Amino acid sequence: MDTTHPGYEDFTTQFSTLISTMPPPFMYINDADAIQTTVAVIDNVLNHLLSAPGPSKISYARADAIACFSARLLYESIINALASWTPQWEDGAVNWGADNGVRWNDTFDGFVHGLRAVHAYLGKGKKKEGDVRLVVVVERAERLIPELMVPLTRLAELARVDLCVVFVSEAPWETIRPPLGASPDPYFFDIPPPTKEDIVKHLISKYSSHPPLKPLYTHFITTLCDVCYPFTHDPHELAYIAAARWPGFVKPVLDANKRDMDLDADSDSEEAFQPPSEETRMRLSRLFNPSLSLALDALYPRLQNATDWAKANEPPPNLLDHPPTNLKTVVPSDEKDAGITSLPRLSKFILLASFLASTNPPKSDLRIFGRGLDEKKKRKRRASGKPTKTKGGVTKVAQRLLGPTSFTLDRMLAILGALLEENDVDSRIQGHASEFSIPGEETDMEISRVAVYAVVVELTSMRLLTRTSAVDRLDGPPTFKAAVGYEMALCLAKELDVSLADFFWEVM
Amino acid sequence: MPPKRTSPQKKASQSLPIHLNHCINSQKRAILASIHHPQPLVEKEHDTNVLAAQQITSLLEGSVIRGEGNSCLLLGPRASGKSKLLDSCLEKLQTKPIVIRLSGWAQRNDRLALREIAIQLSQQTGTTFLSANDPTEEEIENEEDANPFLDQDPIQHATGSTAVLPPASHLPALISVIPTLAHPTVIILDAFDLFALHPRQSLLYCLLDTVQSCHAGQGRKGLAVIGVTSRVDTVQLLEKRVKSRFSGRTIRTGPPTTFTHWLGTVETLLLPHVRHDPDDDVDNQWKDAWAASIDRFLADKAVEEILNETFSITRDFRTLVRLLTALVVQLTPSNPFPLASQLQSAAMTQRARPRFPFLSSLSYPSMCLLIASVHSETAGHPLFTFEMLHDLFRAQVRSSTLAPVQINGGSIGMAFETLVTARIFICASPTSSNGAKGYLKYRSAVERDDVKKAVEKAGQVNMKKWLTKAQ
Repeated sequence: MDTTHPGYEDFTTQFSTLISTMPPPFMYINDADAIQTTVAVIDNVLNHLLSAPGPSKISYARADAIACFSARLLYESIINALASWTPQWEDGAVNWGADNGVRWNDTFDGFVHGLRAVHAYLGKGKKKEGDVRLVVVVERAERLIPELMVPLTRLAELARVDLCVVFVSEAPWETIRPPLGASPDPYFFDIPPPTKEDIVKHLISKYSSHPPLKPLYTHFITTLCDVCYPFTHDPHELAYIAAARWPGFVKPVLDANKRDMDLDADSDSEEAFQPPSEETRMRLSRLFNPSLSLALDALYPRLQNATDWAKANEPPPNLLDHPPTNLKTVVPSDEKDAGITSLPRLSKFILLASFLASTNPPKSDLRIFGRGLDEKKKRKRRASGKPTKTKGGVTKVAQRLLGPTSFTLDRMLAILGALLEENDVDSRIQGHASEFSIPGEETDMEISRVAVYAVVVELTSMRLLTRTSAVDRLDGPPTFKAAVGYEMALCLAKELDVSLADFFWEVM
Repeated sequence: MPPKRTSPQKKASQSLPIHLNHCINSQKRAILASIHHPQPLVEKEHDTNVLAAQQITSLLEGSVIRGEGNSCLLLGPRASGKSKLLDSCLEKLQTKPIVIRLSGWAQRNDRLALREIAIQLSQQTGTTFLSANDPTEEEIENEEDANPFLDQDPIQHATGSTAVLPPASHLPALISVIPTLAHPTVIILDAFDLFALHPRQSLLYCLLDTVQSCHAGQGRKGLAVIGVTSRVDTVQLLEKRVKSRFSGRTIRTGPPTTFTHWLGTVETLLLPHVRHDPDDDVDNQWKDAWAASIDRFLADKAVEEILNETFSITRDFRTLVRLLTALVVQLTPSNPFPLASQLQSAAMTQRARPRFPFLSSLSYPSMCLLIASVHSETAGHPLFTFEMLHDLFRAQVRSSTLAPVQINGGSIGMAFETLVTARIFICASPTSSNGAKGYLKYRSAVERDDVKKAVEKAGQVNMKKWLTKAQ
């Protein structure tokens, strides 16, 4: 019945047998790896059954629990889909049955009555009552609104019509099951992760553009899956990467072909396209294989979209004419870097101070930043070396792995003062030297300027600092958390010429 | 269970003549139908459910025929046939009463429940559910006229023209009207214990008060309130004033008590009555073959063991239904008769489910993160952040060559998210919008042994070595 999705044959036969004969009132389909494919298969099966001759007419609705973020949206989408009703914008987007002034979307009871009404409406033309079977598919059921979970699982017994609820989810039922046995246990389907061969078959079957290139595409997909399958089993992700790489992969072949066509333009130009030779194929593979894993790196976490990536990594024209070289792959730069490196100097110091305040424990401040009167300048203090080992106890996890801790504004300003005193004093214009007699007095003045507070607020709005205390809290100093990471702090320190390693309490 | 035991059956099930192919589909359909609408077995006289049926029937007859007010609690474990019993008793009644069905799962508060009562009443009694000469109705109507704002009540708009409802404030008065209706009424409260959890139990109070004050004669019709629940201490949940109005009658249902009864159920479910043409050779041939195969199937030691296990763990009829459904949908023309191995696999997916069945086929980065989480736990940190796992992973890659190495790029972060959506890693700290994602605390839902098995099954030597380092 369904040939486009290899690997689903067992599921398809069992599922369609159940739906077309006597479905259990509640089914649960769990697929952790390729939920989109599974939903497509379910759609296929049900669409096929809609038209199939059978004892009962089937009508089905599919609702996405993420899209239906309120109960009303869920009710409306299910009832409209069951009644094959599409709200029209021109008519004011009325729901099904709204013309007789009845609303099915206000409460769960209304929804249940609506289901019965749909059931009666669909069964009107039929000879026998109860000839209609409703199938309600809820995908990503783990995201359902909690109070709807139990009634939906009991929908068949509440509505008392021939109805089957199918949940499709990435999470196992045991983890989302409502407590106290509120829901009856479903009939389970566990979809195994797709195998590499099935994905390859599936992706190749989707190819439809240019028949002579199909062998090359087959080869390309096989290689791509060899490289990328260990990292993700989702056919959609692999197809996305393939879509980004294929234009570049096939371009040299097309270039070569175009040139050949130009050369013998006088002869019959409608001549069949020559598929590339085995040797060309090998060369292409060698050229492009390294870029496949880089494509995975950039595209799987969506650091870049497929179109941009394909554009940035387009091979040079007539690649096959050149002697074999390695293709350069453009790695997307982290855009956040650019924003931070162009910040003013004071902001960078504040970020650095906040990072230190978030990473070091408060009790270490005096030991790291404290300076006696006699050693007013640049006393380098080594970081405390290795973390103290406690015998038999649990080893402590480095703070940088646990995430930033929050600090009070005052503490951060004090650290800022220490940093400025050691690293910034020399760069100041020695204009008002006479006004300040005590060492560090000028820095003290600097850190209490309004500009410092303004910058803190600005950085917070840029989400480079995170405010952890409520904005309207008046008592006590406000608290913050650093949102820059270790790498970013290192980079900032380098620019400011601060030896950051000296200021860490733990070894980084 | 050793698969060897199934071998004597194999030769019988190998092939099916082509002319019998259509029979298997009708057989499957018949079995699935019989599973969903099971015919009651010929039960013994003193069976709990038979007694319960008698009691319920007499109670209903009291209300429907003699106009009494009755209340009772139908108590029994899940899937012991409470609702089914009630339905069959209602069907057998001579005069059809008005049946109002409420469920604690759907009607989460008294307001919704009253609305639902009103809607169901008006559906079953026609356009108006209040008889014409009833003073209450006039009162309501007068008030409605007097107060134009009540027309704006959303409830009226919601239910629309087919069912004109009184305003919300008058809904409680509705219950006292019920005995004055033209027909006797049966109110079924499914998940009765949940109604008892509603604040002040006002709905239960109203209902039971009406039941208590409902006297036969005076031209009034009977009213029966039947609570259905599986919670044993439901009566203790009732407030004193509610409890004193409740009759205290508890009717119990129960699951089958003997294994032979259980086996008998299986046999009747698998051998449903299929309409046969007695003269049709093909049908007869098939019928005999099927009956013989079921005999063989049930005589198999392995089958009996699985069924016995199921009976010992749970006497839940629905579990049995799922088992048999999974067994029946596996039948194909090439493999037409049920096998013990099929029942075994059905039991694996439907009854004693492994928590994460496909752990061994996780993607490579996910598996690495799983091993890292085991390391983290051995080091005394059952709660971990993504950064901790990533750090462990990097350290491992640095110290040994863990094939296919991929540190840069986000595939490991994506793998972490996959594990989180599959609920293998469970968030252990409140999610906040301002905290960085990599520092949220998680714990692993997978036991160490399961990880070990999965890694062994995946068969990557490097990962196995890394895992064994966690002692």
